[in-house]
Amino acid sequence: MALSLDRNFRLALPALAFLLLFFIVPVLALLLRSVMEPEWGFQNYAELFATNTYARVMFNTFMVAGLVTLISLLLGYPVAWLLAIMPRGLANIVFSIILLSMWTNLLARTYAWMVLLQRTGIINKALLSLGIISSPLPLINNLIGVTIGMVYIMLPFIILPLHATMRAIDPVILQASALCGAGKWQAFTRVLLPLSMTGAIAGALMVFVMSLGYFVTPALLGGTSNMMLAEMIAQLVQSLLNWGLGGAAAFVLLSVTMLLYAFQVRFFSGYADIR
Amino acid sequence: MLLNYNQLGRLKYVLLGITGVICLFLLLPVIFIILLSFGSSQWMIFPPPGWTLRWYVELFADPRWFEAAFTSFKLGLMVTVLSVILGFFASYALIRGRFAGRGFLRALFMTPMVMPVVVVAVALYAMFLRVGLSGTWLGFVIAHTILAFPFAVIAISNSLERFDKAIEDAAILCGASHLEAIWRITLPSIRLGLLSAALFSFLASWDEVVVAIFMASPTLQTLPVRIWGALRQDLTPVIAAASSLLVILTLVLMTIAASLQKVLNR
Repeated sequence: MALSLDRNFRLALPALAFLLLFFIVPVLALLLRSVMEPEWGFQNYAELFATNTYARVMFNTFMVAGLVTLISLLLGYPVAWLLAIMPRGLANIVFSIILLSMWTNLLARTYAWMVLLQRTGIINKALLSLGIISSPLPLINNLIGVTIGMVYIMLPFIILPLHATMRAIDPVILQASALCGAGKWQAFTRVLLPLSMTGAIAGALMVFVMSLGYFVTPALLGGTSNMMLAEMIAQLVQSLLNWGLGGAAAFVLLSVTMLLYAFQVRFFSGYADIR
Repeated sequence: MLLNYNQLGRLKYVLLGITGVICLFLLLPVIFIILLSFGSSQWMIFPPPGWTLRWYVELFADPRWFEAAFTSFKLGLMVTVLSVILGFFASYALIRGRFAGRGFLRALFMTPMVMPVVVVAVALYAMFLRVGLSGTWLGFVIAHTILAFPFAVIAISNSLERFDKAIEDAAILCGASHLEAIWRITLPSIRLGLLSAALFSFLASWDEVVVAIFMASPTLQTLPVRIWGALRQDLTPVIAAASSLLVILTLVLMTIAASLQKVLNR
């Protein structure tokens, strides 16, 4: 028996070596550069937090991620709720729509939003012709565009885990609350909402973490003056060749991500396992 | 009552209304790209003044698009093979092994999936610059396999968990060697898991942009890198044509996945 234990572990060795060599080592090397270049010390971190431009990027990143999470949660909650109780045929249609949008190539979706949101795009045109606005709104190359595009991408990641949580709630509990005299509002705030909270938080955490590190959509919809953290890291190393500062920014992003992820796994594991 | 569709009352229509609007919101870009790709306006005026196939003609006339798609496809296949092989042995160790630190190992195998992609991209870019793998096929395959690997582990370990180990033991009792038992009993039994591992690994590579931007060179470009480059230049409707073809591909893959699901549930 001892021999077979050993043998099973050995099977993991190729994958382990592969990850060690091409994942762990490069990431650690990058983080090391943040305290080694141009010289030993934490000056890169000091620069990152003290320089206005960089501090604003970090502020923008957290703000957009927070906003995207909040909006996705508010929009996704009713959908997840209805999905959990809808007749099956109808629910399947909604599911197919969610999956289609989720599986469509990310660049294709972002491209569509770039065209939809531009000054002469149909959203502005529709609003103009309805008389809601008198001149086109700037919806692209700013954080509004980034938020719209990101909410679009993140909605499925809220709806799917939340729907699973809602489905697991026994409807009898809500009938009981009605028998005890609870009105609809009371049943919602005192029973349904608390019971679905774990799924909501798990989904929200996942969306927040994913939004923090998102690269493509912010880069394409945000324009040059509204950078977010991931794009800043890429620029620091690719255009400015400032590996020290890039490494420091990467470390900030990485540690926040890992901390939130660990928190999610520790307290909400099993609620958002859809990725 | 709040969880009973027929007892929701007026609330039902509120929820239906919201869900309908969200569904339209989710469908809007997908439908829009397809309409756009047939619109005759270079500036993507909508609704378009007329309909045309011009952008598809341009797409197919430009060999760079086809080359990029072919590169993506070849890369995806190589990544799939490597990721499924590594993923199978890793999952086998995780599910069948009884060694200490299995939980840790599993968490480690999942990290490439939760890490911000840009960090992985930049880290690998730095390393590949030093060892001369930057802009090479090998570098590209390695980088995408790192990202695809967790998906393979999830799919394969799920199906290994459902597969009864006693059947494998029985084969060994009947005189098969351990390897033979794996090859002739275990692998065929978990073939659907292997198939979905392959599908997800392929898609992880095929759709990947961020790492690809860092791994690409002017002569080695995947389809997403090519689209990315075009998007940063101008918003030509040719991108809409390319994107529409990708939407169709998505639909095909969704259908395959759905029928796979049906087979699995049977």
